Amino acid sequence: MSADTRIPVTVLTGFLGAGKTTLLNRILTGQPGRKIAVIENEFGEVGVDNQLVIQADEEIFAMNNGCLCCTVRGDLLRILGRLLKRKDRLDGVLIETTGLANPGPVAQTFFSDPEIRDAYRLDSIVTVADARHIAQHFDDGRETKEQIAFADVILLNKTDLLGAADLDRLEARLHRMNTAARIHRTRNCDLPLDRVLDVGGFNLSRATDLDPRFLEPEYPFEWAGVYELAAGTYQLCIGHHSAGQQNGHESGEDAHHHHGDEDELEVALLPVKSLDAIDLAAARDLAVQVFSDWEKRVKPGEAVTPGATLQRLQLADGHGDFPVTIPATGRYMLFTAHDVPTHLHAADQSLIRYVHDQTYRHEHSHDEEVSSVGITMPGEFDAKRLNDWIGGLLAKKGQDIFRCKGVLAVRGSDKRLVFQGVHMTFDAKFDQPWGNAPRANIFVFIGRNLNREELINGFRQCLVN
Amino acid sequence: MNLTKTWVAQLDDYVIDLAWSPAGRVLASASAAGPVTLFAASGARLHTLPGHADGTNALAWTPGVIVDSGDRKPDSPILASGGQDGRVRFWDANTGRQTVETEMAPAAWVEHLAWRPAAANPKSHDPNSNLLAAAAGRRLSFLSTDGSIAHTFTDAPKTLSALAWHPRGGAIAVAYFGGVCLWDADDFHARREYTYGSAIPALVWSPDGRWLVAGAQDNAVHLWLPEEDQEFHMSGYETKVRELSFSHDSRWLATGGARDACVWDCSGTGPEGREPLALPHADRVCAVAFQHSHGLLATAANDNEVELWSPTRQQPLVATVRLTAPASKLAWSPDDTLLAVGSQKGGVLVLKVEN
Repeated sequence: MSADTRIPVTVLTGFLGAGKTTLLNRILTGQPGRKIAVIENEFGEVGVDNQLVIQADEEIFAMNNGCLCCTVRGDLLRILGRLLKRKDRLDGVLIETTGLANPGPVAQTFFSDPEIRDAYRLDSIVTVADARHIAQHFDDGRETKEQIAFADVILLNKTDLLGAADLDRLEARLHRMNTAARIHRTRNCDLPLDRVLDVGGFNLSRATDLDPRFLEPEYPFEWAGVYELAAGTYQLCIGHHSAGQQNGHESGEDAHHHHGDEDELEVALLPVKSLDAIDLAAARDLAVQVFSDWEKRVKPGEAVTPGATLQRLQLADGHGDFPVTIPATGRYMLFTAHDVPTHLHAADQSLIRYVHDQTYRHEHSHDEEVSSVGITMPGEFDAKRLNDWIGGLLAKKGQDIFRCKGVLAVRGSDKRLVFQGVHMTFDAKFDQPWGNAPRANIFVFIGRNLNREELINGFRQCLVN
Repeated sequence: MNLTKTWVAQLDDYVIDLAWSPAGRVLASASAAGPVTLFAASGARLHTLPGHADGTNALAWTPGVIVDSGDRKPDSPILASGGQDGRVRFWDANTGRQTVETEMAPAAWVEHLAWRPAAANPKSHDPNSNLLAAAAGRRLSFLSTDGSIAHTFTDAPKTLSALAWHPRGGAIAVAYFGGVCLWDADDFHARREYTYGSAIPALVWSPDGRWLVAGAQDNAVHLWLPEEDQEFHMSGYETKVRELSFSHDSRWLATGGARDACVWDCSGTGPEGREPLALPHADRVCAVAFQHSHGLLATAANDNEVELWSPTRQQPLVATVRLTAPASKLAWSPDDTLLAVGSQKGGVLVLKVEN
C-alpha cells in the first residue's frame, strides 16, 4: 500500500429516498471508535447519529468566469478547512450530497485547493441507486446520469423491488455508462463496509480489478474470418440463402439489432501471413485503419478486391452476391461491419470454410449520454509529452470528460504514475514502485461523446519510441 | 534584541484565536473545540469560559481603555466570542461570566467579529456605545453591547470570509467569493463594491486608511486605493494568501502565501514595480504580525519556527524561536512588549521582546 496519510473522504450521492442516509448510518455504526466528521446536505433525510455533523449549504464558487469545469463547492472548502483546525486528526469524512447535487464541483473541491488536496484524499464517490426508480430518473435530468458517471462504487439498492431480468438489464446499463465503477446489489444498503470504504477508487490503485471486458477495445467491425484461398475467382454471398446452405458463417446473434442501413455492409479483405496471434492482430489493426477510410461502393455483381480498401456492398433485402478475385494464393481475412451470414463459394459452387474466425466488440451506438472508454497499452510514456497532451485534451474536452483515471509507466521512474482528473482539473502523483508487477498502462475515461480512437492515438504519441 | 519565553500554557485543542485586552492585562485564547481561557499577562489562569458548543471561531475585545463609569472597573472591557453554534456571546472578564447571548439568524457559523474602532466613537468613554460587527454566513450584523441587533445588512452574494473596519471606523469592508463591499457604518449604505474573481480569505486596511488589501485564493494579493480610485494586483504567490499585516506607519505590508514572508513597500505610488523584501522561512509562512506602534514584524511558518524581523535592516532577522507545533496565531500585546503565540496543538506561549 502507498503511504498516503491524508484523511479519507467518502462522498455519498444518489436521489432522495435511494438510501444514502441508511448507508451513512451503517458506515458510522460499523466503525466504532473512529472519529468521523459527517457533512450533511441541508435536506438530510433522517437523523444521523454522530458527534460531528456539519450542515453544508451547497455554495458554488465558479473560479474561472463561471466555467463549469472550474467550479468548486465553497461551503466544502470552508468546512474542510475548519475541520483541519483541530489537535487530533480526523479518521475520515463522509459527505452526503443532495439528490440533485452535481458531483463534479464536490470532486473538484479536492483538486483545486492545494491545502485541501494535501490534507484530504477523495477515497470514493459512492452512488446509491434505487433499483426501481433510477431508470425513470435518467429521463428527468442529467443529475442522475452524472451521479452514475462520477461513481467509483454504485449500490444498486432495493433489489427486492425489481425482477431478476430487470435487474440484469439495469446493471448492464449502469455498467455501460460507467464501466470503471464497482456495482453491488443491495437491500437496505446492507453490504460489507470494505466495499465502500478505503476502496481507493479514485486513484485506481486497484486498476487490475477492472472488468477485463471493459478494456477490450471496440472495433468498427463485428466479425472476421480467415480463409485459405488459391488464386482464382470466388463468390461472396451475404445474407441467408435458400435451404441447404450450411457450414457458412451464420449470424452470432439471432435478435441482433443492426446498425445503420440493412441494405449495406462494409467489408475489407486483407491478406494475413499466418494464424499466429501477432499476424492476426496486425491484420486487425490494419482493418481498423481501413474502416476509418473512405469506402468504395460495390453493387451486386461487381467485384470485391483484396487489399486496404473499404468496400461498401450494396444489398437488396439483406442479400447480395459478389465475385471475388484472388490474385495470389494465400490466407485472407474478411472483416465485416456486422455479424451477418457470410458465405464464400468456389467457382464450382462448393462452400469454402474459414479456418479461423473471431467476433469483436463493436462500437456500440451511443444511446446513453454517458459512457466509458478504457485503454490498456504497453510501453513507457514520456512524462512531458504526456502532461502536455493530457493538459491540452482536458482543456479542450474537459466539459465532456467527467472523470479520468490512470496508472501509467513513465520512462525514468520505477514508481507508478497515478493520474486522476475531474473535468479540467487533474493531478498526477507517483505512488508505489512497480516492483515485480509488469509495467503496463491503464487509462479510463468516463464522459460524453468520447472518441476511443482519438484517445488511443493521443496516448500513443506520448510513448517513448 | 532577544525573544525570551515568559510563560507557556496548554489548551485542550488547536488555538483558533488569541486576543489581548485593550490595556494588555488579559490574554483571551480560544480553542477550536470551544473553551475560552483567560490568562493574566503574567500567565496566571484567570477563568475558563465554556465558549461555544461545537467550537469557537473568533474573539474580540471592546476597544480602548474604558475609564471608570457606572459599576465597571477600569479595563473591564467586554470580550465577545462567536462560534459554530451560530451565536455571539459577551463575557465579563473580571467575573468570567457570560453577560449576553445572541443567536444569529439564519443559522450559520459566526466566523468573524470586530468592534468598531474607538476613533469613530465620540463617546468612547461610554462602554455602552460600542458596536460589534459580526459575520455569520452571508450576513453582516451590528450588535450593541446589550446583545441586541442594531443593524442587519443586506446579505452578501456568498459567505463572508473576512471583515475589516476602516481604521477611523466610518466604514467596514466585508469580503466574500467574488468581491468586497464597503459599507458605511453610520447610514448603512454600500459605499463601494469591488469585484474580484476568486475567494478572499483575508482583508486588511493600512492604519492610515489609504490601502484596502485582500489576500486571495488565487495566489495573489489585491490592493485598492479607495480614495484614489486605483487598484493593484500582485500575483505569483505559491498558495492562497491568508496572512496580511501592515506596519503602524502604513508603509510596509507583510504577506504570507509562500516560504518567504513577502513585505511590500506601500509608500507613495505603492508596491507595483518595486522589489519586495523577502524574509525567508524553511516552510510555508502561516502567520504574520507587525507590532501596533513599533517596527518589528513577527512571522511563523509550518516548520514550527517563529521569527522576529526588523524588515528594513541590512540583517533583518532579529530572533528565532522554535515551537513544538506550527503557530496558528500571533498577537502583540498593546504595548508591543509581549508576543503571544498560539499553536496548532493547543499551546499558548508568551514571548517577551528584550533589548
